Amino acid sequence: MRAAHRGTVTAVVALLLSAAGNAPPSNVQRVPPEQALAILGHTVTGPDGKTIGRLVDVLVGDDGEPQAAVIDFGGFMGVGSRKIAVQWSTLHFAPANTKQPITLDLSQDQIKAAPEYKDPAKPAPVVMTPTTTSQ
Amino acid sequence: MPRDGTLPARGPRALDLLNFFVADVQTGFGPFVAVYLTAHKWTQVQIGFALTAGTIVGMLAQIPAGALVDATPNKRAAASGALIGVIIAALLLAVRPTQLPVILAQMLHAFASCVLTPAIAAISLHLVGHSALGERLGRNARFASIGNGLAAAVMGATGAWLSSRAVFLLTAALCLPALIALAGIGRGPHSRRQTNARAMDWPGLRKLLSDRRLLVFGICVALYHLSNAAMLPLAGAEVTMRAGSYANIIIAGCILVPQGVVALLSPWVGRASAQIGRRPLMLLGWAALPARGLLLAVLPGPWLLVAGQAVSGISAAVFGVMLPLLAADITRGSSHFNLCMGLLGLAMYVGAALSTALGGWIADTVSLPVAFCALAAVGLAGTTVVWTMMPETRGASV
Repeated sequence: MRAAHRGTVTAVVALLLSAAGNAPPSNVQRVPPEQALAILGHTVTGPDGKTIGRLVDVLVGDDGEPQAAVIDFGGFMGVGSRKIAVQWSTLHFAPANTKQPITLDLSQDQIKAAPEYKDPAKPAPVVMTPTTTSQ
Repeated sequence: MPRDGTLPARGPRALDLLNFFVADVQTGFGPFVAVYLTAHKWTQVQIGFALTAGTIVGMLAQIPAGALVDATPNKRAAASGALIGVIIAALLLAVRPTQLPVILAQMLHAFASCVLTPAIAAISLHLVGHSALGERLGRNARFASIGNGLAAAVMGATGAWLSSRAVFLLTAALCLPALIALAGIGRGPHSRRQTNARAMDWPGLRKLLSDRRLLVFGICVALYHLSNAAMLPLAGAEVTMRAGSYANIIIAGCILVPQGVVALLSPWVGRASAQIGRRPLMLLGWAALPARGLLLAVLPGPWLLVAGQAVSGISAAVFGVMLPLLAADITRGSSHFNLCMGLLGLAMYVGAALSTALGGWIADTVSLPVAFCALAAVGLAGTTVVWTMMPETRGASV
C-alpha cells in the first residue's frame, strides 16, 4: 500500500519537474504571440484606425491558403450585426502590434452594403479590393 | 381582498424598483451573449448551440415553472431563488466563458426567467388585488421599460469602452438591488395567502385548459410575437447595411425610443384597461403591429426607421400590461394564475422563435420590404382575431 503510494508520489513529482523544466520534446517549437496571432474573435481595425468588427471565420482553398475572412460588424448590444466575407489580401496582420494587430483595407462604408455571408454551404459573397473588382 | 391600505406604504415603491432592476438584469442576456462569446473565440456553430440550449429550456420550462410558482406558498421566496439563479448564470458567463459553463448558464437563466416573470406578476396581484391590477401593471411596465432602456444604454457603453465581460459582472451586481427591492416589498398577504394550487387540482386544470378565452388569447399572443419579434433584428441589419459607421447609434435609438414610449404610455394603458375594458386597448396594441410593419417596409432612410420603431412602443405598452392582466382575469377565483402565465409565456416563445426564422427566410429569399409586409400581415391576422373572437375579460365587480 505505502510503497504504491510512494510510487505515485514519485511519478507526480517527476511529472511536475518535467513540466517545470524548459525541455519540451524536440519536435515542439514555442511560437510567441508577437510572432503568430490567434485571430478568431479578434477585433479588426479599418483604414481610419476605428474598430470595424471581429474576425469570426476563415475560408481556405485547396492549396491551404486562406481565400477570405468572415467579419462580424455593426449592431448595438448584438442587435443588427451583419457578417460579410472579405478577400484575404485586404487584411494585414501585425502580431507584434498589440493595439491593432489586424487591419482591413476597406472602410465600414465600403463593406456595409455587401450581401451577408450566411450559409457556409453556399457560394460566399466575397468583397474584393477596389482594384481587383475593376479588372 | 388585500388593498394598498393594509400594507406598508413602501410595498408599491419597492415593487417599482424590483421591476426596474429585474429589467436591467435581463438586458445583458439575449443577443449580446453572441457578441460576448464571439469575443471569446467561440465559433458561430458553438454560439448557435449555446443559444439554442437556452431557448429550448425557456420553452420547455414555461409550464412547469408556472406550476412551481403556483405551488410555492411564498412568491417572494420563488422570485428570490430565481434572482440568485440569474446571479449564478451571469457570473458563470463572466468568469468561465467555456462550453459547459456557458450552456449551463444559458439554461439556468432561461429557467430562472420562467420563474421570475410570473412570480413578479403574482406579487403584484396580491399586493393590489384584481380591481387595481391594471393600474399596477401599468406602473410595472413603466419601471421595467425605464430599466431596460437605461440598462441598454449603460451596458452598450460598458461593452464598447470597457469590456464585454464587465457587462455580465454588472448584470450580476444589479441582481443585488433587485433582491433588496424584493425584500422591501414586505410581508404582505402576498407572501403567504396566495393562489396556492393543491397538489392535484384536476377539475381546476381542466377548467383552465378548456377556457375558450385562454385559447383565443394564447393565439393572439403567439401571433403578436410571430409578427413582432423579427422586426427589430431585421430593421437593425438594414440600418447597418445602409448607415455605415454611425449605424450603431441609430440601432441604439431603435431600441431606446420604444422603451421611452412604453414608459410614457403604459400607466395610461393600465388605468384605461379598468375604465374602458381590455378589448379596445388590445385592438390598439395589436393594430399597431401591421402599422409598424408597413412603416418599416416603406420608410426610406435609416433615421426614419427610428420613427417606425417608436410605433412598436404602443404595442409593447399594451402587451406588457395585457399579458399578466388577462392571465389574472382568466384565472380569477382559481389557483392557477402562474400556470396560465406559463402557458401564455410558451405561446410567446413559440411565436418569437418562428418569427425570426420566418422573417429571416423571407428577407433572404425575396426581399426585406416583403418580409416586413409578411410580418405586418401576421400582425393584421392577430388584430382580426382580437376583433372577431376575443371576448372582454374585465370582471363585473370593477
